[in-house]
Amino acid sequence: MARLIEELRKLPGIGTKSAQRLAFHILRSNPEDAEALASAVREVKARLQLCSICNNITDVDPCLYCASPTRNQRLVCVVEEPTNIATVEKTRGYNGVYHVLHGTLSPLHGVGPEHLRTSTLLDRVTRGDIDEVILATSPTVEGEATAHYLADMLRSGGARISRIATGVPAGSDIEYADEVTMTRALEGRREM
Amino acid sequence: MIAHQAEALVLRTWPVQEADQIVSLFTRDQGKLKGMAKSAARSRRRFGGALEPMTHVVAHYVEKPRQELVRLDSCEILSSPLSQPVDYRRAAALAFYAEVLEETLPDHDPQDSVFRLALTVLEHTRTDSIWLPVTYFALWMIRLMGWMPDIERCTLCGRPFGNESAWFLAGSDGLVCGDHSHPASRALSPQSLAIAGRFFRTPIAGLVSEDWPPNRAADLRRFAFQSLERHLERKLRSTQALKA
Ligand SMILES: [Zn+2]
Ligand SMILES: [Zn+2]
Repeated sequence: MARLIEELRKLPGIGTKSAQRLAFHILRSNPEDAEALASAVREVKARLQLCSICNNITDVDPCLYCASPTRNQRLVCVVEEPTNIATVEKTRGYNGVYHVLHGTLSPLHGVGPEHLRTSTLLDRVTRGDIDEVILATSPTVEGEATAHYLADMLRSGGARISRIATGVPAGSDIEYADEVTMTRALEGRREM
Repeated sequence: MIAHQAEALVLRTWPVQEADQIVSLFTRDQGKLKGMAKSAARSRRRFGGALEPMTHVVAHYVEKPRQELVRLDSCEILSSPLSQPVDYRRAAALAFYAEVLEETLPDHDPQDSVFRLALTVLEHTRTDSIWLPVTYFALWMIRLMGWMPDIERCTLCGRPFGNESAWFLAGSDGLVCGDHSHPASRALSPQSLAIAGRFFRTPIAGLVSEDWPPNRAADLRRFAFQSLERHLERKLRSTQALKA
């Protein structure tokens, strides 16, 4: 029991109390449910892998985006985490492919440029396979540092490098926009 | 319950639950304290980008009796590190300031000179200007914490360094002369000793017009990092990214 609690506690957002609650729930559940959970955990590790082109999590390699004949394979959107792909896909307005970094530069966590998964992206750009790279890391200090680093790294490859716009969120009130957000909104304005 | 409105620097945040965050703040009036920002990840209206490390804010918070964490209600940005371009080095410098302040300052102990130091180095930390503010901050923090040894004469024999190097060793206090140095000691050049002296007499604004390439006073920076780490009895993570 202590071992199960300890393992659950390693999951993000799970403290000791939550881990105990989950462990007791598993203890009380019927054997089939417990077995289904265990086998789902085992299978996800056995079946899922990283796409050899874009680092997305996938059960087939290359992933469905990289293998798609209808997607623009010369347009790449760079995101921090695989979950960010779903956020971009929700727009239904993007038809390019992706590159997943699995993190950002983070001096406080010892993550330097050598730790980012960038080699396949650099290869694609230097081979001339890409027309445009969209840097869609978060507009935080670490996300900005990462975008800056990637732009420098990819610049000589000849692809267009762009950064997603930041500014006043849709549906919000300008009154509540802070100074940085408003400055960026003004900088990123567009012709109407 | 006491409501406060205080000038502060955001040092760090830790996610808790789905959307809450614990925030470490260095307030000007009350020193360092920790607060709970409820649904900070969702409430852009109350926090926006204000919880990024080293953002200078006016924090609105409520102190509750017998509770360690204050309740952080909102933050207005006075100045944000995101108003200027950010690259890896600048992010590392910002992380360094935040980490040193977080680790050296005790809770609830106001330190106005440290607060002013942090504001002034922040102002001068740009993508094309990292090494001067980082070195200046590190050295001044050692001094303000009372950890700065004599930079003019040997700690052991009192001989002035004059035009010679001073020597320092990772595990021991003070600067010593060549005669008292250890085989593993590292040198601090007379030029860098002179720079340290100037740092303590000159506001940073008086130094920024000079050229500060990464190798200038690199030995002084190493000395400062080592001194901080020795007194804190731990490695500073952000210094890895600042080893030129
Ligand atoms: Zn793929
Ligand atoms: Zn001596």
